Amino acid sequence: MGNQDENDETPEYRLRKELPEEVPAAEPADDAAAEPAEPASTGRQRLVQGLWPPRVTRAQLIVAVLLFGLGFGLAVQVASNSDSGNALRGARQEDLVRILDELGDRSQRLEDEKQGLEKQRQELENSSDQAEEARKQTVEKERQLGILAGTVAAQGPGITMTIEDTKGTVEADMLLDAIQELRAAGAEAIQVNGVRVVAGTFLTESGKGVSVDGNKINTPFRFKVIGNPQDLEPALNIPGGVVQTLEKEQATVTVERSGKIVVDALRAAKRPDYARSSDR
Amino acid sequence: MIAVLGLVVGVVAGLLVQPEVPAAVVPYLPIAVVAALDAVFGGLRAMLDGIFDDKVFVVSFLSNVVVAALIVFLGDELGVGSQLSTGVVVVLGIRIFSNAAAIRRHVFRA
Repeated sequence: MGNQDENDETPEYRLRKELPEEVPAAEPADDAAAEPAEPASTGRQRLVQGLWPPRVTRAQLIVAVLLFGLGFGLAVQVASNSDSGNALRGARQEDLVRILDELGDRSQRLEDEKQGLEKQRQELENSSDQAEEARKQTVEKERQLGILAGTVAAQGPGITMTIEDTKGTVEADMLLDAIQELRAAGAEAIQVNGVRVVAGTFLTESGKGVSVDGNKINTPFRFKVIGNPQDLEPALNIPGGVVQTLEKEQATVTVERSGKIVVDALRAAKRPDYARSSDR
Repeated sequence: MIAVLGLVVGVVAGLLVQPEVPAAVVPYLPIAVVAALDAVFGGLRAMLDGIFDDKVFVVSFLSNVVVAALIVFLGDELGVGSQLSTGVVVVLGIRIFSNAAAIRRHVFRA
């Protein structure tokens, strides 16, 4: 410590005075002895003199320039060191390399995790697509079965057959024959005077008229049939067929093709009481 | 007085301008600042001792800065940059303390 003090002062002594003055051995003794021995006010006085009456001397200007540089560098360094988020600025190279490695590992792990999650999401989306598809198919099937069971309205090309029975000679079995004939010709949905004809439909004689599923219907019997008109109409008109048989009973039968038949008579969905699906 | 003003103006200018430190200077600036501080304390002590010389001050200031930067540069080249910077800072810190002690003796007579 003492040596460094000397080092700092030695050149000053040397440059200030001529060589002979420099006596290293005497110097620290002189320094140490002089300070307490001298009236301490001299040092203070010099400081005060240098400070207060501001004199523009060469020494003051040069020192001012150097101190400006020091202050500037100090402030810049402090500012750049306390920059936010620059905790790494002062870090050593090995630390930086280690941090970089760790970050690389971490991002690798996160990347893997992300891939796994994306795969999972893909699978879930696929399965939900499949569920959606199955649901659509179920809805479609419900609609088809609804047409067969008469729980939904149906529309499409077909024919209208009107049987005018003024004499009351038409019987249930003749209408049943007509329905059978229509079904054989590919009728898909049938309604008679507002009663939907389904698998369980039965026709009975009731007094002078006919009942369909217990609903009494009166002449004229109006059949609305959805199916291929080119199949349905000839099926009714074949010689010895439905139309001829009815006309033999002196009923009037008119068959009209139509591009759009609406079968809108509905039937409540009914849960069977006894029959159960047996494929379980 | 003017010297003190120079220091104050320098600090204010540095804080206001906030220049981006060039990457090449970044490792040397802190050491250079510490070395310059050492020179300033040495100069202050010399002034109190009545032996202040502006030429000596300029030379010691500049040579301190240059040598400190040189040592850091050399340390970086040798791969012992951080250790050598620590050493330089320790040595300069010791000098600053001893100079400060001398200044204290002058100013407070204690």
